[in-house]
Amino acid sequence: MHDAQTKLRETAKDLLVSAKVDLVLGFQNGSLPLRTRPCFARNAADAGRLVWNRLCTNNLAVYLPRLFEKPANVRGPWTPPKVAVVAKGCDARSIMGLVKEHQVIRENVVIIAMPCQGMISLRKAEAAGASARTSKLDGDDLVAQACLECIQPSVPGANIIIDGPSRSAASDRFQRVKDFEALTAAERWQQFVAQVSKCIRCYACRQACPNCYCKTCFIDQTKPSWAGVGDDPTDLLLFHIGRVFHQAGRCVECDACVRACPVGIDLRLFTQKLVKDVEELFGYVPGTSLEEAPPLSTYRPDDSECFITDP
Amino acid sequence: MIEGVATNPYLTLPVTVEKITVENDARDLKTFRLAFRHKADRKGFRHECGQFAMLSAPGAGECPVGIASSPTDEEYVEFTVKRYPTGVVTSALHSLEEGDRIGVRGPYGNGFPLAAMEGMNIVIVGGGFAFTTLRATIRYLLHERSRPRFKKITAIYGARSPGELLYKEELMAWQGSPDMDMHVTVDKGDKTWTGREGFVPTVLGEVKPGAANAVALVCGPPAMLRFTMKPLLDLGFPPNHIITSLERRMSCGIGKCGRCSIGGQYVCKDGPVFTYEQIMQLSGGQF
Amino acid sequence: MTLGAIKKEHLGQLVAAVGAHGGFYGPVLRDNDVCLDQVQPSDTLVLDYANFTLPPKGLFFPRSEVIATHGADGMVETPLPTGKAVLFGVRPCDAMSLTYLDKVFMEAQFADPYYRARRERTLTIALACRDPAATCFCTSVAGSPSGQGGADILAVDIGDALVLESATPAGEAFLAEYRKLLGRPSDNQVKARDAQVAQAVRKVSSIGSDGVTARLQASSESAAWEELAERCLGCGVCTFLCPTCHCFGLYDEEVGPQGRRVRAQDACVFPAFTLEASGHNPRTRQGLRMRHRVMHKFCYTAQSFGDIFCVGCGRCIVNCPANMDIRETLTEVPP
Repeated sequence: MHDAQTKLRETAKDLLVSAKVDLVLGFQNGSLPLRTRPCFARNAADAGRLVWNRLCTNNLAVYLPRLFEKPANVRGPWTPPKVAVVAKGCDARSIMGLVKEHQVIRENVVIIAMPCQGMISLRKAEAAGASARTSKLDGDDLVAQACLECIQPSVPGANIIIDGPSRSAASDRFQRVKDFEALTAAERWQQFVAQVSKCIRCYACRQACPNCYCKTCFIDQTKPSWAGVGDDPTDLLLFHIGRVFHQAGRCVECDACVRACPVGIDLRLFTQKLVKDVEELFGYVPGTSLEEAPPLSTYRPDDSECFITDP
Repeated sequence: MIEGVATNPYLTLPVTVEKITVENDARDLKTFRLAFRHKADRKGFRHECGQFAMLSAPGAGECPVGIASSPTDEEYVEFTVKRYPTGVVTSALHSLEEGDRIGVRGPYGNGFPLAAMEGMNIVIVGGGFAFTTLRATIRYLLHERSRPRFKKITAIYGARSPGELLYKEELMAWQGSPDMDMHVTVDKGDKTWTGREGFVPTVLGEVKPGAANAVALVCGPPAMLRFTMKPLLDLGFPPNHIITSLERRMSCGIGKCGRCSIGGQYVCKDGPVFTYEQIMQLSGGQF
Repeated sequence: MTLGAIKKEHLGQLVAAVGAHGGFYGPVLRDNDVCLDQVQPSDTLVLDYANFTLPPKGLFFPRSEVIATHGADGMVETPLPTGKAVLFGVRPCDAMSLTYLDKVFMEAQFADPYYRARRERTLTIALACRDPAATCFCTSVAGSPSGQGGADILAVDIGDALVLESATPAGEAFLAEYRKLLGRPSDNQVKARDAQVAQAVRKVSSIGSDGVTARLQASSESAAWEELAERCLGCGVCTFLCPTCHCFGLYDEEVGPQGRRVRAQDACVFPAFTLEASGHNPRTRQGLRMRHRVMHKFCYTAQSFGDIFCVGCGRCIVNCPANMDIRETLTEVPP
């Protein structure tokens, strides 16, 4: 892990000093125990602050669409930046998706593939107490559920590969979804409503998600207005159903929404249900290749219709 | 404040739309004459020139609109509203018909300091549809009970084209009035236009109202305001004698909800009327 | 100033006695999380928590509420809450936040009737902190882990019992009213309390925020705001979890034949907050919005109310998904 960090710093420094990129998006130490924070490295000194460890949780792809958007205060011609991204498998899968959706210019992104052993879950670490925090950082005990269920720890589309120990892909990741599916419709609904009722509408789930780059989210639209602003259950449900369904065929299960939610809504269960459906119905796993077209933007005569006939 | 309902500042007073006047060729500026449905509400609604109120269309919400009628217009209250295609409330207001019921909350804000301006020359500079509270002010100043308290009144008002001028009948009357010196200008005239052409700041430089014992009231789009400050300063108006009105998105209108805050001041409560001196301190002169 | 004491195992009796006359709100478990909520007979009060995820402002200024319905001839206001309520267990920082919100919502000219009704019916018993978190900085912003500001009574946990001290006449009256349950503390209990108070305050670190108002003022044009905001995701965690953030919106909704007016918390960090009908937005960039939020708390309220609207609870630090840290902002933003 430490070797990887040293190599990463050297790589980032080279890229910046040789002006191959304008910016390296990575991680630096945060202000709290067990926290890193996104780092916008623009020079050699910044590159020296980059870290790589099991606390590099954020999905940095979230910052890319805005970097490729011409700033409002720039007049005249504008050249989009060249950006290197310190990427885990999930981050790179998000970048693939954003490239397909024309939010990111592939040629302007250098994907630095990092060896990923799974990231520590802050919630698990807190629940385990202070002693476990240091002693269990190496094993799988405190690793986030999303990482235990990760099907692609290796980085797709890598431009530069930093070697190191990496976890292997999980085989069966849908046990919780299967348990959920086994419930009656009424029970599923009850569980969904109970989770969503906790929502305070801070939209951290949306803002942390690389896929949520819409200029105006449907929930913020006023003309027409799709939902009320309050915490009436119908309004909360509408936001979450809208958000989750917009992720169908796009969600890479990076867990950014889960980590960002301050009130602990079990968002993963709902996005994962959509992931499973898309995988089963269309045989599609998002973010693994640049070539395959997203299932919801293509039509095949033999597309499954069971979601209409057998919801 | 409004007697009787002062305990709940978030509730609107029911009013009926008495008359709707389409003001411009583009038909996106309408003046609504409103009648209070309860007499006590009218009595309680005592406004000053320059103040605004929150207008609400059923189901659409509220928006702040400057009061276009004068306190001396005792029978009614008028508001001129521009419709924005993206604006929920302004669109809803524009779809109203005479006889419809809407809501009014207010009056709010500080208004122009007219009492402090008594015995002085008044220079009014307006552009576009921001002329509404200045229209209220002119109506007030020209009223027989108030006119003797003020000295010379000079007004310059401009719009993009003749069809975009507000309150056309009143402009005609004021241009012929011995009680004031009214200059109407358009950026560009048309075949029928025989009046003045030119931007408001330019016309201001030509009219050259004196700054001695004078106050300037200026309302217009941000660009016009920016370009009007220099000629006023050149004419000798000190920044604290240049008075203008700011616009921001608002929700509560009473200094709580946070939307209209600029540099620690609430446009709804501490404004909307500010001197140029204050605006330079608040936002470095940005309108 | 009056003192009282109660064994922890008798707290249930206090809840029942107060609950018979009105609502008792306190720290209880909800979905495995310690929250402030109305205490039900099946609940047990929880006393070992650093703080609640959500601040107490929601009890007085809810996330959203229907404030009125549109009647045939004017608006009909939602009935205001009546009866007495006791709020037990807020931390001193959060109790302090209520005094700041009072300045906004209960000022003389336009008092907010909904907030006022809830505040005026509520007696607040703050619970002093035993183990302040690493992110706490109340002592840097006019607070203390055993501060009495905003509390009618301050309770201090001395292990098997709580020692209570009144901070207002209302608190004194409460102690007198429930004297049977809240007996006078022994000398040893008072000593234990004083020791507890003294050790807790030593655990709160100072962030060196002296002169912050002037320093931030001088930084208002600094490029540092845009650099800081680069990392910000633009969500509303810091504002919705802040005990003093009070931005809101009024909305008219058509629900059923009548329609209703809803007041909901909003956040100045969202671009739509200041977006005008014309499409113009005075705060287009995240840097401007972040600057506004920080300046509002540390400069504007200092000017208009004489108080910095931050109580040092650390919620914005703990919960920020991008690890923005207000302590750094306050001490590091260069002019």
